[in-house]
Amino acid sequence: MTQERYYFRFNLYNRILHGMVIVSFLGLAVTGLPLKYAQTGWGAWLSHALGGPFTAGYLHRFFAIITFTYFALHLGYIARLVLLRRPGIFWGPDSMIPQPRDLVQFGQHVRYFFGLGPRPRFGRWAYWDKFDYWAVFWGVSIIGASGLLLWFPTFFAHYLPGWIFNVAILVHSDEALLAVGFIFTIHFFNSNLRPEKFPMDSVIFTGRLEEEEFRQDHPEEYDRLLAEGRLEARRADPPPLWLRNFSLVVGLSSLAVGLVLIWLIIMTALR
Amino acid sequence: MARLLTGLGAVLLLGAALWPAGVAQGQPKAAEPKPSSQDCLACHGDKDLKRGAPKPGRPASLFADEAVLKGSVHARLECVACHRTATAPHDSPLPPVQCAGCHDKARAALAGAVHGKAKGPAGAGAPACASCHGTHDVRPAAAMTIDSCASCHARQVEVYRGSVHGRSRQRGDTEAANCRSCHGAAHGVLPKTDARSSTYHLNLPRTCAQCHADPALAQRHNIPIANVYQLYMDSIHGRAVTKSGLLVSANCSDCHGSHEIQPHTNPKSHVYPANVPKTCGGCHAGVLAQYAESVHGKAAAKGVSTAPVCTDCHSAHQIRRVEGDPWKLDVIRECGSCHTESLRTYRDTFHGKVTMLGLTRVAKCADCHGSHTVRAVNDPASSTSPANIVATCAQCHPGATAKFAEFHPHADPESKARFPLLYYSYVFMTVLLVGTFGFFGLHSLLWLPRSLIERLRRGRERLRRGRTGSGEGREP
Repeated sequence: MTQERYYFRFNLYNRILHGMVIVSFLGLAVTGLPLKYAQTGWGAWLSHALGGPFTAGYLHRFFAIITFTYFALHLGYIARLVLLRRPGIFWGPDSMIPQPRDLVQFGQHVRYFFGLGPRPRFGRWAYWDKFDYWAVFWGVSIIGASGLLLWFPTFFAHYLPGWIFNVAILVHSDEALLAVGFIFTIHFFNSNLRPEKFPMDSVIFTGRLEEEEFRQDHPEEYDRLLAEGRLEARRADPPPLWLRNFSLVVGLSSLAVGLVLIWLIIMTALR
Repeated sequence: MARLLTGLGAVLLLGAALWPAGVAQGQPKAAEPKPSSQDCLACHGDKDLKRGAPKPGRPASLFADEAVLKGSVHARLECVACHRTATAPHDSPLPPVQCAGCHDKARAALAGAVHGKAKGPAGAGAPACASCHGTHDVRPAAAMTIDSCASCHARQVEVYRGSVHGRSRQRGDTEAANCRSCHGAAHGVLPKTDARSSTYHLNLPRTCAQCHADPALAQRHNIPIANVYQLYMDSIHGRAVTKSGLLVSANCSDCHGSHEIQPHTNPKSHVYPANVPKTCGGCHAGVLAQYAESVHGKAAAKGVSTAPVCTDCHSAHQIRRVEGDPWKLDVIRECGSCHTESLRTYRDTFHGKVTMLGLTRVAKCADCHGSHTVRAVNDPASSTSPANIVATCAQCHPGATAKFAEFHPHADPESKARFPLLYYSYVFMTVLLVGTFGFFGLHSLLWLPRSLIERLRRGRERLRRGRTGSGEGREP
C-alpha cells in the first residue's frame, strides 16, 4: 500500500476554534439539559452528578464564556481576512454565503438520492456545510443573547421590558433543543455517521484530507485549485499517528456524549 | 365466674386471718359473743327502722335488705365482718365501716392517687369506698359501669357519652375507650398534672397509642389513617412532646379534645375542617390572625369547602419543620394540588426547575405570595399586587425595577390572549424546530441508501487500485 497524498482542508486556527465549539457545546448541553429536563429521572441524576443546579449553572456560564470567545475569535478572523482584502469571502466558490449554485446543487442532490442523476460536483462547501455554519451563527446569537438576558436580568431590565425574560426563557430552551437536536443527529449524520464517513471524519481534527477523498467529495474545488495551480500549496504531510489517535479519541467520545444525550431527549419526548 | 369465686375465697381467708386481730383491737369487751347476721336482721330487717337522730349525709333509714345483701359480692359474709364493733342489740351508732381491713391492696393503691386524697366535690373529703362501690349492694369491680364515675364526674361522663368513644360503647363496641381505658384503674388514678399519670401531657400520646397504634384496630373501626401514632411521633409536635418533653407542644387531646372527642367528619369535632383554624389557633394565635385575613382564611370563614385550612397544607399528623428543605419542596406540590395551572407554568421557569431538582434557594410559592398571609393578586395588600410586586422581587433580586417585575413567573406560552408576544415566539420556535428536523430528517433518510452505495463503490475502487498498483488513476 503506497503512501496517500494529503491536502489541507482546515488550518490550525479553524481546527482550534472547532475544538472550542465541541468542548463548549457539549459542556453547555450537559450542564443545561438537566435543568430543561428537571422533571425527568436522568435530568435530576445528571444535575446532582454535576453538583446540583447551581454548580451546573456556574459550569454552564463557564462554557458560555468559551462560546462567546470562539464567536469573537471567528468574527476577528473574518475581520482580518477583510482587512487583508482577501477575495471571495462574501461571494464566490469559497464563500460561506449561500449562493444560487447551492440551490442548484441541492436540487441535483435530491435527484441523485432518487437515482435520477449523478452526484453534484460540490465545491469547498456543500450546501449542508453552509447550513451547519449559519446554524451555529444563528444559534450562538439567539441562545447567547437570551442567555445573557437571563444571566443579568436586573441589568437588562433597566433597558428592556420584563416580558422579554419570558420570551428569553422560551427561546433559550427551544433554541437549545434545536441546536442539540440538530448537531447530535443531522450534523453527526452529514459529517460523521453516514456510511461514507462512518464512524467519523477526522478532517476537523487533523485538518488533512486524502487526495482521493478530496477529489470525490469536493471535485469542483480540487479541479479549480489544480487549474489555477494552487493545489500544491495545499499539500500536507500525512497526519502523524498521535494526531490520528487524538482525533479518534476526542471525536468518538464527543459523538458518544452527543448520542447519549439525544437518545435521552428522544426517549423523554416519546414517553 | 371461677376467678370471681377464687377472689372471694381469698377475701374470706384474709378476713378470717385478720379476725382475731380485729377483735383484739376493736373489742375491749372480749367476753361478749359475736352476733349472727340473723341477730342483726331481727332489728334491721324492719323496713321502718329509722335513726334516732338524723345524721347529715347519711340515710335516715336503718333498714338492711337481706335480698340485696345476698345478691352482693359479700353475700357470704356475716354483718360483723364489716360492722366489727356491732353487738346485738346496740345503743350507740356504729362507726363507719373500714374496708381496708380486708382490701389492703386497694387502700395502698389509693394512697398516692387522686381518689385517696381528701379532695372531693364541695370539700366533702376523699370519696369513700361506698361512693363508688355502694354498701350492702357491693358488686364485683368488673360489673361496675361509668355510672360509678358519673356519680362525681357527671359533666365529664355526660360529654363522654356523646363522644365517638361513648357512642361506640353504647352500640356494644367493647374496644371503644371508656374512663378506665385512658385514666387507668380507678384506685390508682392520678391527676393529669402528675408526671406519672396516663393523661399527663407528655404521656397521653402513649395512652392513646394503646389502641390507635394498631392498624388492625383502625381498619375494624373505619379510622381512615391507620398509622396515625407513627406519623404523629415523627411530626414536629410528636418529637417536641416525646423527645424534647415540651408541655407547650400539641398532644392528641390538644387537637382532638378529650372526653368530647369526635370523628373529623362531625361538625362538632375540633378537627372538622371548618374548626381546624380555631383549633390550631389555640396555640398558633399569631398565625391564625394572619390566616384569618388571607384569601384562604376569608374563604374558609365564608364556608367555602375547597378553601384550605391549616391541615390541608401542613397535614394533620405529619406536620414538619417549615425550615427544612423537604417541607419547602413538598409544599409547592401542596399548593399545586389546587393551583394546578400555576404549578404547571411555574415548572416552566428557572424557579420551578431548580426546586424540582431539590434546591430551595430560588422563589417558591410562598416566597412571592406569602404563606399564611396569601392574598388575591387584585387585593392591594397582596405581596404580588402592582404596588408591592417590585419589593417582592427585590427580596431576591436586589436591583429589581418595575420593568423587571413585568416578567411573568406564571406565563403560559400557549395562551394567545394573555401572552401574545410569548405565544408568537412559541409558534415561531415550534415551526422552526419542526421545519428544521422535518426537512433534514427527510434529507438524511433519503441520503442514507445513496451514501451506502457510494461507500461500497469507493471500497471496490480502492481495492481495485490496490491490486493494479500505486499511483494508478490518481492523475486527473
